[in-house]
Amino acid sequence: MPITNLTPLASSLFSLLAIASLVLAFVMLGSRWLRDYLRAFMAESWLIGALSAAVAYYGNYPELYLVAVLTVVFRGLLLPYLLLRIIRRMQVDREIHESLQPSSSLVAGALAVIFAFVVAHQLGNRLNLAGSVAVLALTIMLSMKLIGFLMLAVRHEAISQILGLLVLENGIFLGSQILVPGMPLLIEIVILFDLLVVVASLGVLVRYLLAHVGSTSTRDLKRLVG
Amino acid sequence: MSARDVLLQIAQVSAVLALAPLLQGIIVQFEERIQRAQGPGIFQPYRDLWKLFHKQLVVPETASWLYWTAPVVAFTAMLTVPILIPVLTDYPLPLSDMADILGGGLILALGSFAVLLAGLDSGSAYGGIGSSRAVMLGILAEPTLILVFVGITLLAKAMLPFVVNHLLVGDIAVYWSPAHLFLVFAFFILLLVETDRLPIHSSTHIEVYMIEEARILEYSGPLLGLLRWASMMKQFILYTIFCNVLTLPWGLSRAGAAAGVLAAAGALLLKFVLVAVVVVCVETSQSRLRFYRYQEPLAASFLLAVLAIVANQLH
Repeated sequence: MPITNLTPLASSLFSLLAIASLVLAFVMLGSRWLRDYLRAFMAESWLIGALSAAVAYYGNYPELYLVAVLTVVFRGLLLPYLLLRIIRRMQVDREIHESLQPSSSLVAGALAVIFAFVVAHQLGNRLNLAGSVAVLALTIMLSMKLIGFLMLAVRHEAISQILGLLVLENGIFLGSQILVPGMPLLIEIVILFDLLVVVASLGVLVRYLLAHVGSTSTRDLKRLVG
Repeated sequence: MSARDVLLQIAQVSAVLALAPLLQGIIVQFEERIQRAQGPGIFQPYRDLWKLFHKQLVVPETASWLYWTAPVVAFTAMLTVPILIPVLTDYPLPLSDMADILGGGLILALGSFAVLLAGLDSGSAYGGIGSSRAVMLGILAEPTLILVFVGITLLAKAMLPFVVNHLLVGDIAVYWSPAHLFLVFAFFILLLVETDRLPIHSSTHIEVYMIEEARILEYSGPLLGLLRWASMMKQFILYTIFCNVLTLPWGLSRAGAAAGVLAAAGALLLKFVLVAVVVVCVETSQSRLRFYRYQEPLAASFLLAVLAIVANQLH
């Protein structure tokens, strides 16, 4: 299915889902409470699952239905559940170590979106894709990646860092669903298991932090111990 | 330019003049009701204005000419803006081509600038606090307002409110496009800021956290009445822009007949009641925040405006 000739309904549905997930990324960026953060991530994963299903329906990729189901189960249910368990064990409700206020990080995120917009616009003009849903998907992919980096940079709580990483990954996944929908199924499954490993190792890290450092902020890991 | 169009333009301005206190009354009454109080009734602002215009004028000794001119400038600015926007008719009336949306925003800003200077003029502590806070909010609100205008311009390829109105009425796909919805939300937050309904303070004049009211504490009598009326009209104008240009562009008079214009005025009030209910619910259900979190809603609004511009890519 060439992305340039979609029906108007399909392209508006894709853009709506993509933009809604970008908004949820901003909800995550602006929230102070870890649980809100997690809920926004969960909703975002569901939206991306819905996007996969929509691409499968309009582009005739039957294997993408499976990817959609896997996305919802893994990213939308399993990962949030595991993270919720970690949050419960940590007894930390909110990010206290942010080096940038939520409102300032929202504005920084908006600037990142503008940057992504300019880059995607240039690319779209070069490739004669201007005005199609591909440019929008590219913008949203780039901006979600930048927002993920921003979260990794400005937050110090271990759990927010992992969520930043997951947002980054969600962004790439979202972009790939629209831009290259025919990706082999095996790669998707490998990525999902990668994420599972990431979250599992985070659980180990949190346990270690609690036992040896006494807090879950990665700021306390600066000192090298021999 | 026919005589009927001139009359319609006069009707637009006088509708704003006459109905602005009613809108304020409806909002205040809703607020009281939702907080389970009785409320003074929706016609209280008219009674207040009547009372103020029959009171004696007390002028502080430190006041300069600014004190006298500010209310007049503010009131005149609010009388000018309705000429430019679709209040009752959906087609341009005489003199409505004086300025585009940006020009209207400039005149609104001029009105609040005059009040701001008046707050600083008499040298009272409250006026200074109110003015500095209003400027702080204004600094953050103006860039967002400009971005919203840029978004509207990209959407309609024009900066005239009438063109935007026609586009939204004519094309339902544009109305439900993400770009437009983001603009609506961004403007809604700006509406809360500009009509003084942020969750960081109370709009009654008995609190330390007041912003708008603190600026005009030194005024009394007819001048205070004029300022109050001007601020109600500002609220009415912003609601008009929000409803007739952005959110609910239907229900305007197309032909300009007398019956149509009357119906348009009724529809306008109906739309305002709808928006006022939402505003009051948002304002009441939100808990009061510390004053220094005032940037957060504005940052969200800025963000939504940026997203609207990004969503415009799809066309």
